[in-house]
Amino acid sequence: MSAPFYKYALFGDEMSLILAVVIGIGFGFFLERAGFGSAKKLVAQFYFTDMAVFKVMFSAIVTALLGMFYLSWAGLLDLSMVFVAPTYWLPQLVGGLVLGFGFIIGGYCPGTSLVAVSTGRLDALAFCGGVLGGIFAYGEVYPSIAGFVTSTSMGRVTLDGWLGVRLSLVVFAVVLVAVLGFWGATTVERKLARRDEADAGALT
Amino acid sequence: MSRIDPRAWGLNQRLAAVALTLGAIGLLGSPSPGDAVTLNTRELAEIVESEVDHITADELADWIVQGRADYRLIDLRSPEAYAEYHIPSAESATLRDLHDYPLYRNEKIVLYSGGGIHSAQAWFLLRARGFAGSYILLGGLDAWTDEILFPWLPADATPAEVAEFEHRRRVSELFGGKPRAGGGAVEQAGIELPKVAPPAPVAAPRKRRKLHKQGC
Repeated sequence: MSAPFYKYALFGDEMSLILAVVIGIGFGFFLERAGFGSAKKLVAQFYFTDMAVFKVMFSAIVTALLGMFYLSWAGLLDLSMVFVAPTYWLPQLVGGLVLGFGFIIGGYCPGTSLVAVSTGRLDALAFCGGVLGGIFAYGEVYPSIAGFVTSTSMGRVTLDGWLGVRLSLVVFAVVLVAVLGFWGATTVERKLARRDEADAGALT
Repeated sequence: MSRIDPRAWGLNQRLAAVALTLGAIGLLGSPSPGDAVTLNTRELAEIVESEVDHITADELADWIVQGRADYRLIDLRSPEAYAEYHIPSAESATLRDLHDYPLYRNEKIVLYSGGGIHSAQAWFLLRARGFAGSYILLGGLDAWTDEILFPWLPADATPAEVAEFEHRRRVSELFGGKPRAGGGAVEQAGIELPKVAPPAPVAAPRKRRKLHKQGC
């Protein structure tokens, strides 16, 4: 028996939808537990006063990365069957910037806005309305921007394939970057906290 | 000094140390897909019987014109033949190369050779190794040459055939081919494949956009 189970037809569409709901609820639960149901906490990331978003996301990446690497090493997971979204570098760069600005302005990203709605936050409800409006607007203008959206196509791109190095080297490099990033993030947080204290002291 | 004493570390430091250790151990080896193969001969036979194992030259031409990037096109002929002419967007890999060629099991892979034999053999090899998205270009490069590059309109064509030929004529010109209309016997000797400079892609993006505007 080898993963991914869906691709190897160990279960069908219905089961995969049921599992998606279970995994989705789990995902939302841990986002909420990490404090990501609060726009203040999320936006603090962009001012470097609270690096929790960076830390939680990088922890998840490193956990999944090591887990998948070792499962595949043990022969329990076929990495080449795992879906990798195709790369269209220019439209994805533009899309990333649009999403980032929306994140700063609205205080949520799509996943966390739903988490915040589930705990009854009205700002998140307004944000979700905006997301829905954006989706419909995108659908309406899609025919005129379809050429751009599908431009600069690079197909399936992975770091190891792109750099031409062994997968294990990429895994180690990402873990190293994550650990150094954690250390840097904590340092920045402490520095900004000290500066804020100094500011508060100067005011009184 | 207490910072390098593991007993004084908090949870975060310990997790970081575990992650780094796991990452470092990983450097010792690399996961390999392995060569073991399980074949479901009945399933393979059914796929072949139901003719879902191939795509036609027309379908492939449409994909190329649309600039789709969700497939890999593999030219199984010799590198010399590939250098002389290949279908736009094709990569060169002989049957022998195919085993170590960087393909992924979740990709759509279209195989072609001169006729259809090598591509059918390669299809079985790939399917056996779990490349479920493998397809054969029906008729191989011969079909591509006859139907896409040099489509032929018989003199006694029905209106439906004429309409279809009109579409093919435009596609053919995009790929640098020469449509043959007017019927009668056409001398095969007069047909010359479009020249390809090996590193340059054949269909320039400029041409593709032009076709989009024509509403294809």
